[in-house]
Formats: sequence, C-alpha cells, structure tokens
Amino acid sequence: MEGIDGSGKSTQLTLLHQWLRAEGYGTVFSEWNSSPLVRDITRRGKKKKMLTPASFCLIHATDFADRMEHNILPLLKAGAVVLCDRYIYTAFARDVARGMDPAWVRELYAFAVKPTLAFYFRVPLDVAMKRLMNGRSGFKFYEAGMDLGLSGDPVESFELFQGQILKEYEKMVNEFELTVVDATLPIEEQQSRMRQLVKAKLAQAKRLRVAP
Amino acid sequence: MRSTYGVVLPGMDLENLPGKLIVIEGTDGVGRSTQIGLLKPWLEQQGRAVVDTGMTRSKLAGKGIKQAKQGHTLGRVTLSLFYATDFADRLENEIVPALRAGFVVLTDRYIYSLIARAVVRGIEPAWIRNVYSFALVPDAVFYLRIGVEDLIPRVVFSTGFDYWESGMDLHPSEDMYDSFHKYQTALLAQFENLVEEYQFRVIDAGQDIPAVFEELRKGISGVLADHDQAPGPTAPEVPIEKTAPGGSPRVENKAAGS
Repeated sequence: MEGIDGSGKSTQLTLLHQWLRAEGYGTVFSEWNSSPLVRDITRRGKKKKMLTPASFCLIHATDFADRMEHNILPLLKAGAVVLCDRYIYTAFARDVARGMDPAWVRELYAFAVKPTLAFYFRVPLDVAMKRLMNGRSGFKFYEAGMDLGLSGDPVESFELFQGQILKEYEKMVNEFELTVVDATLPIEEQQSRMRQLVKAKLAQAKRLRVAP
Repeated sequence: MRSTYGVVLPGMDLENLPGKLIVIEGTDGVGRSTQIGLLKPWLEQQGRAVVDTGMTRSKLAGKGIKQAKQGHTLGRVTLSLFYATDFADRLENEIVPALRAGFVVLTDRYIYSLIARAVVRGIEPAWIRNVYSFALVPDAVFYLRIGVEDLIPRVVFSTGFDYWESGMDLHPSEDMYDSFHKYQTALLAQFENLVEEYQFRVIDAGQDIPAVFEELRKGISGVLADHDQAPGPTAPEVPIEKTAPGGSPRVENKAAGS
C-alpha cells in the first residue's frame, strides 16, 4: 500500500487484513520503519536532527533489509500473505524528494522482492491535507521535510514536501506498474475493488483450515 | 575538483576540499592501526593537522552496529547497509569537513574492505559497488598485503580469533581456526580483485613494522608534495607482486537479487 499521508491507505489496509483473515489466509502485517534492529538509531537520529538525506535514506534501507531478510522473505516462503504499509516506493519518493539520485536509490533496493500487487492510493494534495488537519496537532521535523529548508512553518513545509513526494509517486505509476486506487472514492468502493484484485492473486497463498 | 565513484550526495560540494584523503587498507590483523598510530604523530611533527577515522566510528550508527553484531543475527544485506549508513555519516560529518578545513584525513579502511567483506558473504559485486558509489575518490590507497599463512600467527598472538573476522557467520560448523583460514583466504582474494580497479598502492605487510612504516612515509610524502596534481589515485609506485593468494572465491548463494 503506497500513497502520501492522508491518502487513506492504512484504513484500506486494515479492512483488507480483516477480510483476508476471515477468509482463512495466513496474513501478516509489515510496517515501514519498524525493525527493532535500527529503531533506536533512527529515533535518536531524528530527535537530534543528525540525519542527512544520505543517512536518512541508508538507515531506512537498513531497516527495510532487516525486515526483508528476517520477516518478509521467510513469511512468503511459508505461503503467507504479507501486507506492507509502505514499501520501496515510499523510499524512492521520499529520498528522491530529498535530492538523492533516482537511479542510485532504485538500485539500492534491488534486493527487495517484487510485490504481487502494489496499490497506489492517488489523492489530491488538498484532500489529503484536509483529512490530516482534522486529526492532527502537528508534524514532526523529518515528516514535514523540515530538513530541506522549504519553509520555517511545519505545516507549510509538510505541504510542500508532500507535493514533491506526490510528484515522485506519479512518476512511478508506469515505471513500476502500480495499481492506482482513486482514494477520493467512498471507502467501501475502494475496498471492494481491492478485494477483487487481491482475490485473483491468491491462488498460491496458504489457506488455514480453521480461520483464526 | 574532487570526484566520487558515481553519484554525488545532495548538498556535497566537491570543490574547495584542499585536504588530503589517505586510506590504509588491508585485512584484519595486518597492522593497519599500528601504522596509523605511527603515521599520525609523524605527520603532526611536520605541522600537518590530522584526523584519523575508521569503520563503525560514526556518531549515528557506530554503536548500533557493534551492538547488533554481538547478537550475530544480522542478515547479509542488512549488515552491508548498516555499514553504508555508518560510512555515509562519517563521510559527511567527519571526512568532508576535515578535507574542507585542509586536514590530512587518515582513514583506517574505506569502502574497499566493506566491498570485499560483502562480496565474500555472497552480495552481488555490482550492487555493493553502486551502494558506495557516493564515496569520494581518495588521494591514495595504501594496501597492506599479506598472505594468509603470515596473517594467522599475527592474529593468534595478538587478539585471537574474532567471530566476524573469522567469518563464523559463513561457516558455523567449523572451528575458529579453519573458518578463519577459509574466510581470510576468500577475503584476500577479493582484495586482490580490487587492487587494479581502485588503483591500490601495494605494500608488502610481511615486512617488519619499521619497514612498512618507511614505505608508507615515502608514499604519503609523495602525495602531500603533489600540490599541483588533481586529487585522485595515481599509478602504484610500488610494483604489484604476484605472490598473493590467487583464484577468486565464489559464494554461491546470493543474498542480493538482481
């Protein structure tokens, strides 16, 4: 599941997860930036604002590699359905928006398994901003791209940064054959379309005899 | 102007880096840190400001790598990227500022050790070279060359066998000696593959400490005297001998997909 913040991808992911479990598929969730190996370093680096575009990029790649080697690959071998909240496309979008070389970053992640399906939740920036501003009090330094010096105001910086990221996502739609979901549609409509597409790909996944 | 091995990191100005970047490379236990310990005061006596740096010393990731390695649970790609993070942090926050200020940067290992180690562990050579293609091309790389038979007594009588330096992650069923022998043989062969590609100046590290030191001094004096020359490794002054372990090892199971 890919898309800018406020695209609604986490909501859709939760619904998809519930459905797959109910259908009896071994389903596991894997979240961006969640490996215990580098969590402390990332947290400290962000808190102390020590991260440059390069080290930001590489620490996230390390995190992803750890999840790939110790989590995603073994799970796929076991026949599980692995649902990823963000994948390598997030890195491509963010790192390139931070000025990293696009070809270099793509090669950096060449060890990643090509996903069975990659959904991209397309949403206009103003719609995403409206959704986010409803439930949030503020943005963190790196989240808002404050390291880029786009603006001294976190909200404005966030919006500018998200705009850059959105541009990068749009470039990737054809390059990586992302499945575009119109994230302005009603939630149920998006979900039912996703379920159809996922169902068509589930032939090889392991189904449990008894649903948990 | 300086150059990199490929990409240039955002915000990295390659102009006005008047310092010198000198790399001491070589395998574990070959005497790199001993030589750096001698070179630093020697350079300082000549009025050169020196910064010495080495692997896993970054503020950002150095401690984390050491802790993670204690657990012996790192995947091969993960370990490579962890090192790359450490390297990027040191390059941007230590090496480049020092070069900008006109320091002589003496670095204990550089990207070459990291490439050699990764390839021995089955990482795709082209992939790991791309990862480190943001590295600055140094002014000189001195490679302390040693054969595995000469290396073993040095390691045994100084620090003993280390888990990672013995490649125990690759040969868990072997004893430390056998594993060390196999791993270092493979690693040295990888270093040999890099000699020409990265224009190493080879020094026979089988000699005693003062002799190696003398060769290094001679080489470094040449680099420092070379004011007019554009930075970048020049042809090796010391002829490359062909006594090093031959053959190139291949670890079959690849971690990095293409």
